[in-house]
Amino acid sequence: MYQPLLTTRYLTSRMIPLLAVAAVALCVALVIVVISVMTGFLDMVRNSGRTLMGDVVVDYPLHGIPDYERLIALMTAKPEIDAATPVVDTWGLLRMPYPAGDAKESTQVQIWGIDPVSFSQVTGFDESLQWEAVPPGTASGMRTQAIDRHAEELILALDQESKQRLLTMTDDGALEGADTQVIDKLIDGQQFQDWRARLQSLSSTPELLREAIGEERWAVLHSDLPRLLDDRLVLEEGRTLLRNGEPAMVSGLHVSRGNRRTRQGTYEIEGNGYWWMPRFDAILTTIPITSRGGLNDEPQSIRLPFANEFASGVFLIDKTRVMVPLESAQKLTELQSRKGRLNGEIVERPARATKILVRASEGVTPYELKVVVRDTYAEFEQTHSPDAHWAPPAMRSGSGPEVRTWEEQNADFIGPVEKERELMRTLFSIIYLVCGALIVAIFWAIVYEKTRDIGILRSVGASRSGIVMIFLLYGLFVGVLGALAGIGLGWLVTSNMETIHESLSMPPMWLGVALLILAAIFAIMTFRASRTGRLLPVLLGSLGTLTVGGLGIAELLVRQAGGIVLWDPSVYYFTEVPNTVDWPSALITAGGAVLCSVLAAAIPAAKAADIDPIGALRYE
Amino acid sequence: MSSPILEARELHKTYHLGQVDVPVLAGCSFTINAGEFVAVLGSSGSGKSTLLHLLGGLDRPDPDSGDILHNGESLSTYTASRLDRYRAETVGFVFQFYHLLPELNVMENAMLPGLVPSGIGSQAARVRAELLLNQFGLAHRLEHRPRELSGGERQRTAIARALVNDPPILLADEPTGNLDEKTGGEILDLLTASHEQGRTIIMVTHDETIAERADRCVRISDGVLLPR
Ligand SMILES: Nc1ncnc2c1ncn2[C@@H]1O[C@H](COP(=O)(O)OP(=O)(O)OP(=O)(O)O)[C@@H](O)[C@H]1O
Ligand SMILES: [Mg+2]
Repeated sequence: MYQPLLTTRYLTSRMIPLLAVAAVALCVALVIVVISVMTGFLDMVRNSGRTLMGDVVVDYPLHGIPDYERLIALMTAKPEIDAATPVVDTWGLLRMPYPAGDAKESTQVQIWGIDPVSFSQVTGFDESLQWEAVPPGTASGMRTQAIDRHAEELILALDQESKQRLLTMTDDGALEGADTQVIDKLIDGQQFQDWRARLQSLSSTPELLREAIGEERWAVLHSDLPRLLDDRLVLEEGRTLLRNGEPAMVSGLHVSRGNRRTRQGTYEIEGNGYWWMPRFDAILTTIPITSRGGLNDEPQSIRLPFANEFASGVFLIDKTRVMVPLESAQKLTELQSRKGRLNGEIVERPARATKILVRASEGVTPYELKVVVRDTYAEFEQTHSPDAHWAPPAMRSGSGPEVRTWEEQNADFIGPVEKERELMRTLFSIIYLVCGALIVAIFWAIVYEKTRDIGILRSVGASRSGIVMIFLLYGLFVGVLGALAGIGLGWLVTSNMETIHESLSMPPMWLGVALLILAAIFAIMTFRASRTGRLLPVLLGSLGTLTVGGLGIAELLVRQAGGIVLWDPSVYYFTEVPNTVDWPSALITAGGAVLCSVLAAAIPAAKAADIDPIGALRYE
Repeated sequence: MSSPILEARELHKTYHLGQVDVPVLAGCSFTINAGEFVAVLGSSGSGKSTLLHLLGGLDRPDPDSGDILHNGESLSTYTASRLDRYRAETVGFVFQFYHLLPELNVMENAMLPGLVPSGIGSQAARVRAELLLNQFGLAHRLEHRPRELSGGERQRTAIARALVNDPPILLADEPTGNLDEKTGGEILDLLTASHEQGRTIIMVTHDETIAERADRCVRISDGVLLPR
């Protein structure tokens, strides 16, 4: 076999084939990145479904399913069902207690009444809670205000000894080498405001403050700030939707104006930190539906404090949803258990839930689960006590409850994304044609240049098919090398997506400077080359200088303009950019590139086989 | 040992340049016995190279106009792949312009015919190429590329290549045409030595003094072969 010998030599002894390798690599990398991001996006949609609402939802909006506890009990008795939880959902207005000015903003929100314990078994609510402790800056701000509120009580209670301690702690140099008499005099001279200022200056160092005022007053200071005494309360209150034992809400991270996404992808508190978990309550208002399906004249409102915030990662939900205790939502929508009059008799109307979220047991697919849930609901209908004065809504009636998987629920969203991915795959496959054309052109030139070699090979007994093999093998080499490099490049780009995205949205200064320095080096080299009188180096040098310099300037301009945001969470649904390579697609892509290279190489290979050895050998 | 190894019968070869027919060979007939060293003389453009290419199976004569017999077998009955094998096993070519592959080193160039499917195989080719190159005084040049060699060295490499599959026939097309007298003499010495080992050699030249080295001379003139 002489082909491998020649192919490797043709590949390593010149630059042009490397161009073909680079072209294949770029095509492969591009397709891998695009497909991976889209696949990652789809996966995120699917996974978010599970963490947001479990596998299957029984939906009966507005009216709600009565006696849902019994339905849930029937469900959880099934081995296919891991857990089920009731939800009351409705739309409403949230009036935020923004502190600045008189403006109290109202936003439209989706109110979800949940039973936190079972809700966390079905969804990923537990893990989505944002705050595990009061941020230190906020804590000291809250303490400063608390000192203000309790100033009188605190200062009156300070004895001579603690005053002296406080003075030393907050000393700014005036006490240097002073004796007791001077200190005493200083203590006498202190005004109320001075003491308060001295106390407040300690609010960011809680341990010192505690020592200065003593245990008793420390407790007084925090009497209305239990979260500052026990960090665990923050998470616990979020988990139970209770604050100081009273119903509270957990809002999506972007519901309030208080949180801003940083460029690192973490969240920081807007402004002076006051906003974090406002001490004031927000008011939720909605208009309930009457039992006959019409709108009630009276809007219902409840006032709730904030217990925590949740970050599901789905922007739309984080922006519009608030979680409240199930009972609070039932009261808002008038779906709670009530006494009513029926045929002159006072009867108990059971509480209702507008959704039942169901989580499948290990190994049960959402579609299998759907069947089980349907059957369970039928059982629920059949086992209904005949002498009750209400009946479960019939599932098969057409207007009754619907059972859907998360994917079905969001089919009009997931479907287009899936189609889009296929479209992308097809569109991007077209760049293989470009790649193939490039390979044809480059190989054609090589065949032309190697005409004499081909004549020589034929003269020593090489067959026409042997000549074809040289170039097919050559195409295979170029394809495989390019595909491997492309996979590497695609993997690098995809897995560093977040970093690339961040640096695009705020390109680092050093990059621009480095590019400009490189441009200057190119310029000097070009100037040197211009004195040798050769055109090509000068041309290449000038192009290099312009490109690199232009990139550098563009980079600095983009930086000046505040960067480019490519992944806008309000457009792309998720707050994160997908960053895992879709390996099956990547391998198909790479395989396609190899095949494409070999096919493209076949055209020049056929030309090579048709070369007349006599003509090729006739002249030097 | 006077059996004919190659026999040409009424060979015709016409090139077609657009509308114009260029008859080059017009009824060449001759017989070459095994172990002969024959020189083919003729002026430039008389068709010497054309004849050699026909004998070497690189080209075919005009259809139904003459034939070449190798050991009594007609080349016109050969399929394309049998002809490929004929070029690999039976004949070795040496050209005026050496025709080495620039990307391969001396050793690889010499081994090349051994690597084609009907060659002797890469192991054997390596051994034989090294042996021949050593004999030809190129032992210190094995790793060099052709462009780093002198004309004489290149032609010696080309001869080693022609001999690597140990073909019974060597076809040389003005092997000294590009070399000075002394170097040309050395090349002819190599051919003579190979001839003395029993190889049949057909050498094209237009130089009468070089033709002296052959056992026999023939001359092409007006498309036919005449004994000198
Ligand atoms: N492919 C071709 N097409 C047209 N004419 C050709 C072709 N090959 C050769 N000829 C012509 O055939 C004639 C014989 O050529 P050939 O190369 O055999 O001559 P030669 O005797 O080897 O000459 P030289 O001594 O110069 O090498 C020449 O006139 C040449 O122009
Ligand atoms: Mg010639």
